[in-house]
Amino acid sequence: MGGAGLLPIIALLPFLGALVPGVMIRAGRNAAATFTAIPTFLALLMLLTLAPGVMDGQVLQKSFSWFPPLGLSASFMLDGLGLMFAVMILGVGLLITLYARFYLSNEDPAGVFFTYLLLFQGAMLGIVLSNNILMLLVFWELTSLASFLLIGYWRHLPEGRQGARMALTVTGGGGLAMIGGMLILGDIAGSYELTDILQAGEAIKASPLYLPALILILLGAFTKSAQFPFHFWLPHAMAAPTPVSAYLHSATMVKAGIFLMARLWPVLAGTDPWFYIVATTGLITMVLGALIALFKDDLKALLAFSTVSHLGLLTMLLGFGTEAAAVAAVFHVLNHLTFKAALFMTAGIVDHSTHTRDIKRLGGLLTLMPITAAIGIIAALSMAGIPLFNGFLSKELMLEEASHTSWWESPWIVPVLATFGALLSVAYSFRFIVHTFLGKPRDESIDHPHDPPFGMWLPPALLCVIVVAVGLFPAAIAGPIVDMAASAVTGTEIHTHFALWHGITPALIMSGIAIFGGLILLALHAPLDRAWLATPRPEAKRLFDGAMAASVRGTRVIAEGLHSGAISRALAVFVVTTVASGLIAFFGRGLPEVSRPLLPIPPVAAAGWLLMVAATLSVILLHRRRFLALVVISICGLMVSIGFVYLSAPDLALTQITVETVTILLLLLALHYLPKTTPADSSVALRIRDGVIGVSAGVGVGALAYAFMRRDVPSISDYFLENAYSGGGGHNVVNVILVDFRGYDTFGEIIVLGIAGVIIFALMEVLLRGRAGRRLRNWAFSEDRSRDRHPLMMVVGTRVMLPIALLVGVYILLRGHNNPGGGFVAGLVFSIALLMQYMASGFAWTMDRQRWEYHSLIGWGVIIAGLTGAAAWIFGRPFLTSAYGYIDWPWIEEFEWATAMAFDVGVFLAVLGAVMLMLYSLSRMARYAGETVNLEPMDYDPSQKSVQTERAPQERGVPTEGEEL
Amino acid sequence: MDWDIELIGEILVSAFLVIGGLFALVGSFGLVRLRDCMQRLHAPTKATTLGIGGVLIASMIHFGMSGEQISFHELLITVFLFLTAPLTANFIAKAYLVYRVEESDLPPTTGKYGWAIYHDPPKDPADL
Repeated sequence: MGGAGLLPIIALLPFLGALVPGVMIRAGRNAAATFTAIPTFLALLMLLTLAPGVMDGQVLQKSFSWFPPLGLSASFMLDGLGLMFAVMILGVGLLITLYARFYLSNEDPAGVFFTYLLLFQGAMLGIVLSNNILMLLVFWELTSLASFLLIGYWRHLPEGRQGARMALTVTGGGGLAMIGGMLILGDIAGSYELTDILQAGEAIKASPLYLPALILILLGAFTKSAQFPFHFWLPHAMAAPTPVSAYLHSATMVKAGIFLMARLWPVLAGTDPWFYIVATTGLITMVLGALIALFKDDLKALLAFSTVSHLGLLTMLLGFGTEAAAVAAVFHVLNHLTFKAALFMTAGIVDHSTHTRDIKRLGGLLTLMPITAAIGIIAALSMAGIPLFNGFLSKELMLEEASHTSWWESPWIVPVLATFGALLSVAYSFRFIVHTFLGKPRDESIDHPHDPPFGMWLPPALLCVIVVAVGLFPAAIAGPIVDMAASAVTGTEIHTHFALWHGITPALIMSGIAIFGGLILLALHAPLDRAWLATPRPEAKRLFDGAMAASVRGTRVIAEGLHSGAISRALAVFVVTTVASGLIAFFGRGLPEVSRPLLPIPPVAAAGWLLMVAATLSVILLHRRRFLALVVISICGLMVSIGFVYLSAPDLALTQITVETVTILLLLLALHYLPKTTPADSSVALRIRDGVIGVSAGVGVGALAYAFMRRDVPSISDYFLENAYSGGGGHNVVNVILVDFRGYDTFGEIIVLGIAGVIIFALMEVLLRGRAGRRLRNWAFSEDRSRDRHPLMMVVGTRVMLPIALLVGVYILLRGHNNPGGGFVAGLVFSIALLMQYMASGFAWTMDRQRWEYHSLIGWGVIIAGLTGAAAWIFGRPFLTSAYGYIDWPWIEEFEWATAMAFDVGVFLAVLGAVMLMLYSLSRMARYAGETVNLEPMDYDPSQKSVQTERAPQERGVPTEGEEL
Repeated sequence: MDWDIELIGEILVSAFLVIGGLFALVGSFGLVRLRDCMQRLHAPTKATTLGIGGVLIASMIHFGMSGEQISFHELLITVFLFLTAPLTANFIAKAYLVYRVEESDLPPTTGKYGWAIYHDPPKDPADL
């Protein structure tokens, strides 16, 4: 089975292709449509090369392990059912691409549309090609998301947005239920592979969990396939552009539920619960949908409810649980696709050329738009189930099955209701034909309707050819396909014998009743319509909106009860919980014996300790005077770094001291724009409460540390110490932990750091545009500030320091792997070196002299680190496995290299970029507050003959266009 | 008595340590005893810097004598001290002037221009 390797490629092609139209959004509709058609066509071609084998009964499989602990594998399968659906998805996709090219107007962003279309196509293909039900779920949810984008494509229309939200809520909610069902199913079968599950039908039906699994899975399928009572989202999704409706509601999205029921048919069908749930729902949906469709005036709404009705029909057939009914369902899937897609496209054409879809305003289009009319009439006749068209054949099969199905001991209910549904279907189909195309034009304001360009009527015309061809020669054209798909559904060899004439059968009589009854109903449409409009009906949208609003209120009560937005409360809850769980652990199990003696307190340590305690107490006393508090906090920071040095942790000391410097500098800059004092705004009781909580946390942490240090506790440090060199190629264990053992964490951290930098930048952008920006613009600098902003001594001093500091940064970066240092510290040292320049000579002046965008520094950092990690894949190793070796650098010495160094460079760049971006944000604030830009590095340069002055000090605030900050 | 090189070295090291320690002590004492900020500024920036210099020289001699490798760290530390101490003093003095001293209380500058913190920098250095 060599072709199986193509399956993942087929499934991935639309996703890869989706990148193209989106990026060439300016290239126009032709280019976008072409590049949508190419991947679709390629996938279809590959699929067709596999078709002969599948039609012979082969089942192609290809599997990659993805996440074995969960039973999740990227496993693909192609059998008859999957092939039929895949060809439908891709084939109709091609037609829709062509149609959409002409349907979309020049103002619509075509690239976006085609990207969404391909995403959706890929997700649908994934569903029908998945062999792993967990992967199937992933694709299932992807279809919900992609259809959300497609339905809401015209985002300027409120109906579009609301329809998209409703579709996502309903189908996404059903998908969540289905996850539960699938997990139960996989649990019963002992495997998440479809091929295994399909073998385990007996066990599944016998399991006590069968019913919950069935209900949960059916919830997913029913919401997706718009079954009663979840049918209401489908008509609202009609706010989408017509190509979307034609695609989603004929071939793909709504058929996903049908596909799933067919796929799991051998496992789930044939039991009483299955019959009563599925067949009954289908029957109700069929009749109800058809009834509503008859009274809809909007062409697309009529088609939408007719789709609901036909989906009900399919569901009912699958619900019958007999092989013959399953065959009929498969056949009708095919037929419904052809006529319904053609009808949607016809409705789109009518809308396009008359600018209305209101049946009551249309009429007589046959003479004005003959081609469109011919297409519409053929497709609608098929929908009505008139002989010689394909709809007739599958409807006959349906009625045949219905005629000998008894429901709750009553042989009459199903046949009668099925006939009634068919009758309604005839009525609305003929209403579509008669009221739109026949008769005389009813509304003179519609000017000059005309047939659309070739590209727009060709797709529905092609579908009509199929409609007629299958209608005339069912056995030759549809027979093999239905055989193949139905065999796959039922798991037994199926040979159909389609024929136009079976003699006078009950089905034929029912069909005749339906046609004549339908015509009579249409004749009575005007009075019936008035009666219908007069009767009160529940309106789905209002109910849905009400339910949504209620759930929003409910969740808001819960969320706001738990989280008021006050950080002090959130922290209090967290701290109290932590302390409480610590206490529970302490009193529950107690502590092991003390095994380490107390050491004498050296005087140096005691002095440091006293300093730190004094500084902490001072922070509490001084915290209302912010600058002073900051100074005292920096004492704490310095003491901690000295503590690290004292305890032989040079890495931590280096990191601590650089972090300390950078944060204090940034905080100083930020404090400049904040009030100088903190007002006392909490009551004494509150402060006592907070004090108690704070002290208990501090005492708890201290006690914990003390308890640990008095005992010999097994620790993972030994492992790191032993393996740092052999595993990570470095002597600096801390660095090896950062870049190798816990490299994944570090990778995540630099991403978070980068995000933080970018978010600060973005927030500042918003702040400056709002009220804060206006306040800043009216900022008055205090009168007592010094007039010399860039003192000569400072400028010269920092200039001298710059190369030294940069050299130190490089040195720390390079030695990091084996000695204290590393990318993080190096990034901070670089930042400090640059920060000094900014402080001395002003941000704008310095910024002018370096050409790196800070945003891109962050990006490059993450990319370099990521690529370094990914390089391990090339050698077949897991992400971020490091390699190392030695190179002999002639005349200097032998060097050790390690891939971790490249990773460290990424860390370095990300840290540098993030810090500088924060500084940049602060300096923007200064500009808004009216800080002027100096042209010279220092206030006054005695070595120069003449000094240009700063720009006029009156120049306030807002940076002008093209002016760098 | 054996006046070998090591003994001379050790005596030198001890001498520098004592001298450095004395200067540092004087600096710290001054920080406590001097009257206002401007006076106190002298103690840590001058005396203590000298004191640290003494310790650094002692350290250089010690490691140079022990023969392993001549250490340049001390030189670097000296360079940084010479850079940072005057800068810090300069800024503390400026801040003090801005917050605590009225312009009228300052003695007149002898040049054309006033004190840097109260007057814009000169437009043309030739004016000086």
